Amino acid sequence: MSEPALVFGPRQREKYPQPLTFLKCSTCGTENSRPFREEDYVFKVVNSEKCPKCGGSVSRIVNIYVPDRKEPK
Amino acid sequence: MAVSFVALLNPAAGSDNLLSFLLSLVWIAFLMIFFLYPSLGQRMQLSYMLRDLERKLQRLKLIRDEINQVAVDTIKRVGKPDSDPSKELERLSEFFLIQPESMDPYGLVFKLEHILETGETTYEKEVAAIAPHATETQLKTLTNLVEILRGINTLYRVVRHYYLLGRKTSNIYMVLQIQMVIPMLIEIAESYRQAAVAFSKGQPIGDGVGVLVAAKLADGLEKTRYEIAKDTIVQEIELEGRKVYVIRAAGPGGTVGRPGEAVKQLVEKLPSNPKIIITIDAALKLEGEESGKVAEGVGVAIGGPGVDKYKIEELAKSRNIPLYAFVVFESITEAITPMKESIAKAADVVLARVKKLILEKVEGGEIAVVAGIGNTVGVGG
Repeated sequence: MSEPALVFGPRQREKYPQPLTFLKCSTCGTENSRPFREEDYVFKVVNSEKCPKCGGSVSRIVNIYVPDRKEPK
Repeated sequence: MAVSFVALLNPAAGSDNLLSFLLSLVWIAFLMIFFLYPSLGQRMQLSYMLRDLERKLQRLKLIRDEINQVAVDTIKRVGKPDSDPSKELERLSEFFLIQPESMDPYGLVFKLEHILETGETTYEKEVAAIAPHATETQLKTLTNLVEILRGINTLYRVVRHYYLLGRKTSNIYMVLQIQMVIPMLIEIAESYRQAAVAFSKGQPIGDGVGVLVAAKLADGLEKTRYEIAKDTIVQEIELEGRKVYVIRAAGPGGTVGRPGEAVKQLVEKLPSNPKIIITIDAALKLEGEESGKVAEGVGVAIGGPGVDKYKIEELAKSRNIPLYAFVVFESITEAITPMKESIAKAADVVLARVKKLILEKVEGGEIAVVAGIGNTVGVGG
C-alpha cells in the first residue's frame, strides 16, 4: 500500500515562507528588521517608520529575505 | 455428528484430515490461477500503481486550485475588475506558444524570439484587461502570477493525460514512467504554490539574485540611467576610473527584461568595445550542494530559451570580447520562492568578486559591461 499520510497529511504542506524586511536608518545607520509588508521592495525609501534607536523617520530597505532555519544542535 | 467432524480436523487422522485437504485445495487453486493467468501479478501491480498515481494527481489538482484561488483573489484586490476574472483566468491558463519549425534551422533564434515577444506582449495586454486598476509594476507581477497558474495547469493536464491513458490501455510501462517522475513533479508543483504567494505579494525570489547584485553594484554610484530595451535599464557608474555599464531588468515589478538585446544595443552604441562582459545569474545546484554557493567561470550565464544567451555570444565572438560569468547555486524551488538568507548574502560575495574582477581585468579609462540576470520582483533601485 502507498502511504496516504504522506500525500494528504499535514506534514506534506509546507507553510508559506515569511520573509523579513531589513531597513537601514538614514540618520544613524542602524539596521533593523520587521516582517515583510506588501509594497516593500529592496532599495525603497520608507518615510513612515521611526528608527527604534534614534527616532529618525527616513530609512531605506536594504534587504528582504527568509532567515535560514537554525539547525538544532 | 459433531464428534466425527472434530475427528476429521484432527491432524492425527492422517490423510483423512479435512483441514489439510482444504488447504491443499486452496494452494492448488492459487497455482492454477497463476498458471492459467500469468499476467495477474502485473495487473495487481498496475492497480496499485494507478491508485497511488490517482492520489498524487488529486494532490496536483488541489495545488492547481489553490494557485487559481490566489490568482483570482490577487487580481480582485489589486486590479479591481468590474466582473469576476475566473473565466478569463481559465482561458489564460490554457494559453500556448508554438515553437518555430526547426527543420530549417536558419534564423531559428530570431523566429523563437519573435514568438516569445509576441506571447509576452499578448499576455501582458490580456492581464491588463482583467486588472484595469493595477499599476505598471503590479501588472508585471500579476502577469508572472498568471504564468505560474498556466504552468501548474499544464503540469496537471499532462500528468492526468498519462494517468488516464495508462488506465485505459492497462499499459504498466506508461504508468510506471509517470509514477517514477511524479515525486519530482509534486515538488515542482509545491514550488509553484509558494511562488504564487510570493508573486501575489511582490516578494523578491531566489532567481532575482543576479539582478540584486547588479542593483547593489550601481547603488550610490549611478551617474545616469536609461531604458535600452523593453523593461531593461542601463545604469552608468564609475569604479575607480573604470566606466561600468550595469544592465538589469527594471524593478520592482516581476520581469526578466531583455538582457541579450540590451547588451547588444549598448555595445553597438559604445565608442569602443568593452574590455569584458560579465553576466551574473542563479544556477541550479546539484543535490547535496549548499544553497548560496558562488562559482565563477567563462561564458554567458543566462538560462531560459537561449535567445539572450545567443545574442551576447554572437556579439562577443564578432568583437572578440571576453565573457565572464558568476553564478549562485540554488534549487529549483529556491529559485521561484521567496529569497533565502543564504542566497541574499551570496549577493554580497558576488558583488565583491565582480568588483575585484573589473579592477583586475579592466584598466583605468576602459569599459566593462555587467549584466544582472533574473526576475526583478521585489528589487527596486
